[in-house]
Amino acid sequence: MRRTVSHAIVILLLARPMLLRAQEIKLPPDVEKLSVKAKETVEVNMDGPMLRWASKFLSAEDPDEQKAAKLITNLKGLYVRSFEFDNPGAYTSAEVDQLRAQFSSPLWSRVVGVRSQREGDNVDVFFKLEDERMAGIVIIAAEAKELTVVNIVGPIDVDELADLGGEFGIPRLNPKTLPKSTMKSIAKAEKGNPK
Amino acid sequence: MTVPNQHHDMNQIEELLKNALRRQDAPPDFSEQVLARVAEHNSVPRVRHDTWWSIFIRPLVRWSAITATAISLVVGGIHYRNARRERAKGEAAKQQLMLALRIAGSKLQLAKAKVNEINATQVKKQSSSEQE
Repeated sequence: MRRTVSHAIVILLLARPMLLRAQEIKLPPDVEKLSVKAKETVEVNMDGPMLRWASKFLSAEDPDEQKAAKLITNLKGLYVRSFEFDNPGAYTSAEVDQLRAQFSSPLWSRVVGVRSQREGDNVDVFFKLEDERMAGIVIIAAEAKELTVVNIVGPIDVDELADLGGEFGIPRLNPKTLPKSTMKSIAKAEKGNPK
Repeated sequence: MTVPNQHHDMNQIEELLKNALRRQDAPPDFSEQVLARVAEHNSVPRVRHDTWWSIFIRPLVRWSAITATAISLVVGGIHYRNARRERAKGEAAKQQLMLALRIAGSKLQLAKAKVNEINATQVKKQSSSEQE
């Protein structure tokens, strides 16, 4: 009996990192390989403790960082993958569909699904609801030369988050740290969405 | 006439000198007395006017101080290096966090803008069809 209990404890301990990792989105293998083709790849994997730790270094004087500190207070994880390519067609729609399929369960609801045949920009936003409360967001932005997957685990203020993307046509982004296509899409988005 | 008187005076002085310079033995407890005086002199505590660093004259104290200083310098250096590393890691994590939030924010804005675009087009279509 004791042996069974100790085995169960060992299995649980071994499975713990896998369970924690399950918070991350499983990128299809072909999408994982995109970093080889990509001109620029951004990969951010931050779990709860990492977010808490990083937040200690946020300045109280910088309004953006102040906002970020408030945003991540209750977050359990933040995972971003962004690939920027030189030419369109670096990934297939089937690969993106495979990604989207992971959010077809009743736990997830697609709040935005945009398909643009002309520009080739497809954006999906999925919300995870638990007890009628937001428990996470997944954003899949499949643009002609860029593929971005954002997974936010935990509740977050969507409007505040969107504000961090830029305001009044002046992006708050540091152009040195963001893919060029992201900057272009922000500029494009702000043009179409004057505040 | 004066010569015999002078001779007598000289003899008298000579006699006095002889008596004065006559060898005399030391008293029997002379050496004990001398040793006792020496011991008495040594037993009197000396008033030392030492400066604070004179404690380092002792080799044990000196080496202990050198070792303690060296250890504190090494420990302080390691602590400082670790603090700097930790700070650099924290700054990198912060940059990553800000980048992730900004990418997420920009993609949300993109989604918002697309939805607004579609809404605007539909409203335009609707109003133009109503006018027709």
